[in-house]
Amino acid sequence: MTARDELAARQAELVRALLAGGPVPPGFDPDRIRVEAAALHAKRRAVAERLRPDLADDLGEDFGTLFDTWAATRPRRAGVSFRADLADFASWLSSRGRRRPALRRRG
Amino acid sequence: MSNPWGLSGPAFLWLYAGGLVEVLAENVRPGALPESLRVLRGRGVPVVAHAVSLSLGGAEALDHTRVAHLAAVAEAVDAPLVSEHVAFTGAGGLDSGHLLPVPRTRAALDVLVSNVRAAQRELPVPLALENIAALLDWPDGELTEGRFLAELVERTDCHLLVDVANLHANAVNIGTDPARFLDEIPLERLAYVHVAGGVNHDGLYHDTHAHAVHPEVLDLLAELCARVPPPGVLLERDDDHPPDAELAAIRAVVEA
Repeated sequence: MTARDELAARQAELVRALLAGGPVPPGFDPDRIRVEAAALHAKRRAVAERLRPDLADDLGEDFGTLFDTWAATRPRRAGVSFRADLADFASWLSSRGRRRPALRRRG
Repeated sequence: MSNPWGLSGPAFLWLYAGGLVEVLAENVRPGALPESLRVLRGRGVPVVAHAVSLSLGGAEALDHTRVAHLAAVAEAVDAPLVSEHVAFTGAGGLDSGHLLPVPRTRAALDVLVSNVRAAQRELPVPLALENIAALLDWPDGELTEGRFLAELVERTDCHLLVDVANLHANAVNIGTDPARFLDEIPLERLAYVHVAGGVNHDGLYHDTHAHAVHPEVLDLLAELCARVPPPGVLLERDDDHPPDAELAAIRAVVEA
């Protein structure tokens, strides 16, 4: 394994811990992993609210809980834009009957 | 969300105590520049293209599409230089949407140097690299942050963008010694400086670009200015436009 491959594996391990509930890699402080994971999630949610105000309006105070539920098992994949990611969230909401069609706007 | 140019969203980062603005490269289409940018360019204000997604510290292959976009934005706004971060943004098929620290090891430095050189070959103007704010540290650092950056500059001839808020963040969060950091980095390669606001939460400093600038950050700015007059100082503010008093406080430190 080259040095680059080894670094790739370690970075992937850290990212899995931060975004996908993977185990804390050896040597890392579990508390900091938790804090960083929460910060990354909060940023993702803030971006969602800014890019899709229609969803935030539709869902009102349920937005946060629903976004958290959806996002918990769906880390954003490399190469998937924020907008495409949020289109998936919108589809997920529709499939659960959580969007009010009358209030839909162009996303 | 509003500002004097009637723009919304995070395309612009703020203030030009040192007479420059930044545009967030990922949010700009080179073929459809906002009118405000053209006005600024018409007035001779330098516009730096600032990137956040190149993942130069990442071990996976450099994304040349992203580099090409940054190059195109730089050309479109006639940028004197472009900037990015010493960071990686994702790995293993996942994108964190943010800047993550790289291990301060020689092996990671080799990868970073190789990626930076590859990006530099495709960029039309010089590249400045920025220290990031970390909430966690890798367990096996071999170099201080300052030495890591100094060796990066030595090997790639890149410029430095020093973010004094990020330096404060790392002093609080991962024990970076700010004075030693400033002693170790080659300040003659300083392109410009970032200042930003943040919040303390459970003993950690979070870099938010949305809150007031902390006094400790202004102290670090003063310490940096005592070593070298910065070519430019820019307040990063992604949300509401900052109050005049906040800009005045930064300007007072820079011009002291």
